[in-house]
Amino acid sequence: MPFLKNILSSRSLSIVGLEKNTGKTVCLNYVLRRLHELGVSTAVTSIGVDGEQTDSVYATAKPEVTLYEGMYLITSERHYLQRRCVSEILDLSNQRTALGRLLTARILSSGKALISGAAATAILAQQIEHFKQQGIQLTVIDGALSRLSLASPTVTDSMILATGAAVSPNLQQLISKTRFVCRLIDLPEVEPAIRTALYQATSGLWALDSDGLAHDLNIPSVFMLSSANSDLFRYGTTLFASGAVSDRLLKILAAKEEIKQITLIVRDFTKLFVTPEVYNDFVRRGGSLMALRKSHLAAVTLNPTSPHGYALDSHTATQALSDALNLPVYDVMKIEQ
Amino acid sequence: MILRDKLQSDPGFQYIIDSLNLISAAGRRALLDFPFLTTPEAVNAELDNLETVIDVISVTDNLHTVSEIKHHLMCLHDSQGTVANLSQHSVINEVELFEVKNIAYTAAAVSRSAEPLGLKEIFSLPDLSDVFSLLDPDNTGLPHFYIYDSYHPDLPDIRKRLKQLQARTDDPEAATLYADLFAQHNDIQHSVEAKLSQQLWASADRLALAVKRLAYIDLLFAKAGLASAWNFTRPQIAPAKQPAEEPQVITQYKGLFNPRLLHRNQEHRLRYQPIDIIVHPGLYLITGANMAGKTVLLKTLGIAQLLTQFGMYVPAESATVSLVDDVIFCIGDEQNEMNGLSSFASEIIKISEVVQLSASQRLLILIDEPARTTNPVEGKAIVQALSDILISRNSFSLITTHYSQLGVPCRRLRIAGFREDLANATLSPENINLFMDYSLVEDNSDTVPQEALRIATLLRCDESLIQKALQHLKNQ
Repeated sequence: MPFLKNILSSRSLSIVGLEKNTGKTVCLNYVLRRLHELGVSTAVTSIGVDGEQTDSVYATAKPEVTLYEGMYLITSERHYLQRRCVSEILDLSNQRTALGRLLTARILSSGKALISGAAATAILAQQIEHFKQQGIQLTVIDGALSRLSLASPTVTDSMILATGAAVSPNLQQLISKTRFVCRLIDLPEVEPAIRTALYQATSGLWALDSDGLAHDLNIPSVFMLSSANSDLFRYGTTLFASGAVSDRLLKILAAKEEIKQITLIVRDFTKLFVTPEVYNDFVRRGGSLMALRKSHLAAVTLNPTSPHGYALDSHTATQALSDALNLPVYDVMKIEQ
Repeated sequence: MILRDKLQSDPGFQYIIDSLNLISAAGRRALLDFPFLTTPEAVNAELDNLETVIDVISVTDNLHTVSEIKHHLMCLHDSQGTVANLSQHSVINEVELFEVKNIAYTAAAVSRSAEPLGLKEIFSLPDLSDVFSLLDPDNTGLPHFYIYDSYHPDLPDIRKRLKQLQARTDDPEAATLYADLFAQHNDIQHSVEAKLSQQLWASADRLALAVKRLAYIDLLFAKAGLASAWNFTRPQIAPAKQPAEEPQVITQYKGLFNPRLLHRNQEHRLRYQPIDIIVHPGLYLITGANMAGKTVLLKTLGIAQLLTQFGMYVPAESATVSLVDDVIFCIGDEQNEMNGLSSFASEIIKISEVVQLSASQRLLILIDEPARTTNPVEGKAIVQALSDILISRNSFSLITTHYSQLGVPCRRLRIAGFREDLANATLSPENINLFMDYSLVEDNSDTVPQEALRIATLLRCDESLIQKALQHLKNQ
C-alpha cells in the first residue's frame, strides 16, 4: 500500500477514527508493521486514556497494538504491566493518568501492548519534540476525535482518517459525512505570525487588526454572543474563537452585513461542532474559515463492514469515496493483503 | 511545627516559598515538611550548609557541574510509595524495580558530581552500589530496567521461542502456543520480581535515606538559588542564653525589604525604601500615618523570622535574629464568615491565644491595629490591657495602633510618613508613594500623627466629605 510514502516525509502522524469500528487499530497495526519492515525508527503513543474505546475504569476493550523490536513506546503504568512483549523501561514521567504514570520503554522483542497517553496537547507536543531530538524518525499517535479529550491530533504533521460503514451504511451519506470532516481537516492554516499573535488568546473571542495585533473582544464565551453584539468588528473582520465553535456563532456571523469580509479562525478542526448545512451557508455567503493548526491529511481508510453486519461493496465504496475526496482511499480490511 | 503549617500565615511569605525553584516532587515535599528550627545550633548548621552551596553556585566554573546535579535530580521520580512497599516487605513490580534502580543511579551520579565541588559531605548520600549492581546484572551502567535474561536460566530460551512464534501468530495453533508460553514467561518474571524484592528488603532504609537526602539537596539548591538571585543575606543568630552583664538579645535588620512588594513596585517602576529596625524583647507600639507602611513592616518582620527559622537567608542587607518558639500574625485578615465569626470575634480570639501562649513561650507577636473594629472607648481599653500584659513578657511584641494617650511605658516607633519636600513632582494618588518616608524614628510622645484627612485630600476624596469632617474636628 503506497500511502506510507506520504507519511515518511513527516515526523509525526496521527491516526483518527470517525466512529468506533472504522478500523483505526487495523490501520495503526498496518502502519507500524510497514514502518518496521522499512526500518524506520518509530515511537508510538496515544491521545489520552479514554481514546474512543477504552474504559478507563476497567482498562479493557481497547484493542492491542503490535509493536516491533526497537520501537519506542509511551503508555501508562497499568497498560505497560499488561503488555505481551519484552521491553525495557527507559523513563518514568511524573505525569499521572487514570491508569498511573506514563512511562517510556523500548521494545526488545516484538509483541502486543495497550497504548494510552497524555491527555494534553502541550505534553504530546513535548513528547514528539523529545523523540525528534532523540533521532526517532516518526512518532505515531493513536488519535481520538473525541470531545472528551483535551488534546488534539493536529499536533502531528500528518493524519490518516479511518471511516467506514459504521458511520453510515448508506454510501452517499457515508461519503457526504466523511467529505465534510475532510473539508474541516483541510481548512487553510494561518501564517506563523498570526499564530504567534494569538498565542496569548486562551479564552473567549478575539479580533486581529490590520497590523496583525490581537485584541480580546471581552466576550468570555462565544456561546454568550448574541446577534445584538454590534461592535464585533471594531478591530476588523478577522476573528479568532479560542474554544469550541457551534452553529450559533456561524449563524450570527453569516447574518452580518460584513459576511463577505469575515475570516473566522478556529484553533483546529476538532473545535468545530457545526452541522454541514450551517457551515455551507456560512461559506456560501462569503465567510471564510481558517485553522491555527492543521495536519496534512495523508490518506483515508475505509472499513466496508458495519458492526451491525451490513457490508458495502469494497471496490465501489473506495472508488466512490476516493473520487469524492480526491484523496487515496484504502479498504482497511484489504490493506494487509 | 513544619513549613506547611506556616504557609498560609502571610501571602508575602507564600510568595517567597512559591518562588523556590524545586526540581523534584520529593524536593517539594521536603520543603513543606521542613521543621521550624528553634535552636541556634540547628539554624546555624542549616545556614552553614546553605552558605557552602551558595559559595559553590557563585563560581562560574562550577555551573556546569551544578546543572549536571540538577539534571540528575530532574530524573528523580516520586518513589516514596515504592520505598514504603519495600520496607513493608512487599513484592514490587518491574516499574517499581526501575524506580529503585533509578534512586541508586541518581544517588551515585549526584555523589560523583558533588565530589569536585566539595559538597559530598554535606550531601552525605548513602552508598547504594550493591542495589544498582543487583538491578544491572549485565553491567550496562544505565538506569534502564527490565527483567533481564540473566535473572533466570529459562528466560533466554523462552524469549527466543516467543519471538519465533510471534512471527506466525496468524496460525491459530501458533497463537495458542504463544499465549501459553507467554503465561509461562510472566510466571518466571514474577518469580524474579519476588526474588529481587526479597534481596532489596534489607536496603529499604538506605533507599529511603537516599530519597530523603536527594530531596534535601534539591531544597538546598532551591534555597541557594533564590538567596543569590534576590540578594538575601545570611542572618546572624543571637545566642540563646547570655550572661546578665552582656547586652540583651535583640533582633536587628538593616535594609530589610519585602520581596513581594519590592517586585510589584519594580514592575510598576515605583520606588521601594528598605527599612532599618532594632527590636528588643518587650513591647513596641508602632504609629504612623495611613499608607505609611505599618502593616507591611509587621508582615516583613514576620517573614524574615520565618525564613531564618526555616533555614533560609533573609531579605536584608544585614540581619541579627533572636530565635523564637513561634511567629504569630494577627494582621486583620482573619475574618472568617464561614465560621460565623465577625472580624472582631476572630481577632479577639487570636489575641486571647497570644496572651495565653506568651506566658510560657517566647514569640514574635505581630498585631495590626487591635480592637479597631469596635467602639473606640472599649477598644482603647483592650489595647491598653494587651499592652500591660505584653510589656512584661519575654516575647517580641509589635503592635500598630491609631489610638493616642495609651499611657503604656513601652518603646514607641513612628514611621516618618508623608513629606511634601521628598520629591520634585506633582502629587497624585498614583505617585503618593514618592512622598512617603518609610523610615522608623523613635518617638517619645504618647500621641499619634493625625494625617488621615490630609491623606484623604491627597487621594482626591470627595470635597464635601472632607469639609464636613474638618468642621466636626473644629467643634470638638
